[in-house]
Amino acid sequence: MANLAAVVGIGQTKYTTKREDVSIAGLVREAAQNALQDAGLHWDEIDAVILGKAPDMFEGVIMPETYLTDALGCNGKPMLRVHTAGSVGGSTAIVAASHVQSGTFKRVLTVSFEKQSESNAMWALSSPQPFSTHLNAGAGGYFAPIIREYMRRSEAPYNVGIKVAVKDRLHGARNPLAHLQRPDITMKEVEDSFMLWDPIRFLESCPSSDGACAMVIACEELAEQGPKPPAWIRGVAMRSEPTMYAGRDEVNPQAGRDCAADVYRQAGITDPRRDLDCAEVYVPFSWYEPMWLENLGFAPEGEGWKLTLEGATSLDEDGDIPWNPSGGVLSSNPIGASGMIRFAEAARQVRGDAGDHQVKGARLALGHAYGGGAQFFAMWVVGANKE
Amino acid sequence: MPESDSESEILNQAFELGYTYTRSTGPVVGRFLTGLRERQVVGNRGSDGRVIVPPMEYDPGTAEALSEFVDVSEEGEVVSWAWVKHPREAHPSDQPFAWAMIRLDGADVPMVHWVQANREADINTGSRVRVRWAEETTGSINDIAGFELV
Repeated sequence: MANLAAVVGIGQTKYTTKREDVSIAGLVREAAQNALQDAGLHWDEIDAVILGKAPDMFEGVIMPETYLTDALGCNGKPMLRVHTAGSVGGSTAIVAASHVQSGTFKRVLTVSFEKQSESNAMWALSSPQPFSTHLNAGAGGYFAPIIREYMRRSEAPYNVGIKVAVKDRLHGARNPLAHLQRPDITMKEVEDSFMLWDPIRFLESCPSSDGACAMVIACEELAEQGPKPPAWIRGVAMRSEPTMYAGRDEVNPQAGRDCAADVYRQAGITDPRRDLDCAEVYVPFSWYEPMWLENLGFAPEGEGWKLTLEGATSLDEDGDIPWNPSGGVLSSNPIGASGMIRFAEAARQVRGDAGDHQVKGARLALGHAYGGGAQFFAMWVVGANKE
Repeated sequence: MPESDSESEILNQAFELGYTYTRSTGPVVGRFLTGLRERQVVGNRGSDGRVIVPPMEYDPGTAEALSEFVDVSEEGEVVSWAWVKHPREAHPSDQPFAWAMIRLDGADVPMVHWVQANREADINTGSRVRVRWAEETTGSINDIAGFELV
């Protein structure tokens, strides 16, 4: 990368089932305004706006970015929309960062959102198409067989997913913005919850949330002038692979491994478990924690579940590498924003600004998003230091 | 050239796709629509002091959130118009009518609606018009069942 860039402002909405009090514009605006306030900036100090959300068919508003220009103060400025399915929140942040790293703009506002209460994300995910059987699955139905294959290969005990479901909800209970607030959740309750897509139980699945997330990303000179410590962007990477090619490994996708290797190389990370202080990783269904622990190199292949069971990823068990201290996607899932929330929460950690879910002394953190049929990957590493 | 039709046939098929959705209007557009339900046209004041009808959530120039609502008159004047000589099924009237930009008294920005007039010659830039309310109002732009010449 060319120039240094940093996150200088972060804004989120309180994630919840229904925000009937606001329009889509009002929801997006709230996060953007919070980010500007966090950065101590006003609308006219932003050079460009980069917006992301999941596919338009989710809310049925085609090209919502055109309708959101006034809400996001884009008048007279460049504005771009990013599309990469569920990973879009991450790739939107990377597109925004790239515009600063390249020197094109000095200060960029990036925003992502989903208003699931107005949408039909479940069925719009698997549109019927001519000449083929209607999958009619939604995300859970798509990922369940991949998880089963992981369980078969790794011989992981059956309760690993249950443990992740509890751990992330306990993390979420520390985060006032998290949708699910379940400080009293138990392993038994998760285990007894309805089996939605075997082996994924109801409480091992993410909720449907309304919400938006925004960040202001600034060049080195301006980042140093902000009222709060910047989160320096130490590496960014994206990778893709085809959805329907039967020969690819969906349990441990090559694109995910390549993306991680790229971002670690940029950030000087050789052992992610040792070198990183925490990670915000896209885990929409509980078993994706052990799967991504392996895909992202935190554990050897087949052994990710051991970190989960040992409590290595848990704040409450003083784990050495907390994953999703904010509660993660399992606690809040405004789909288009979920990737950006991971990136923003990683930045909050290294700014020392994560409240009750702060990982003590966090200096280097990973933000991760994936989308499509586990085929689009976006990652960044942010640090308290420039290098 | 392919040797036979069966080898050259490339299949295609029409299909329909549809989903159900919800829409929340928010406090500004929602206020405009509930105003219509009560047979009152509501605008709001932009950062430059102009009254915008229908109201906007955010100022089109400065991006400031707009919150000062202003009731405007149900009468106003035609700023510009286009005559529809042969209405089609989807049009709001089965008689010839005019699409018009109408600046209501108390507003600074015109809104688009339609005007009933017997003949094209009856409508002009500057013509005075008045809202014709629907018999039953529901909170929709169609609560204004067109404008009529005053």
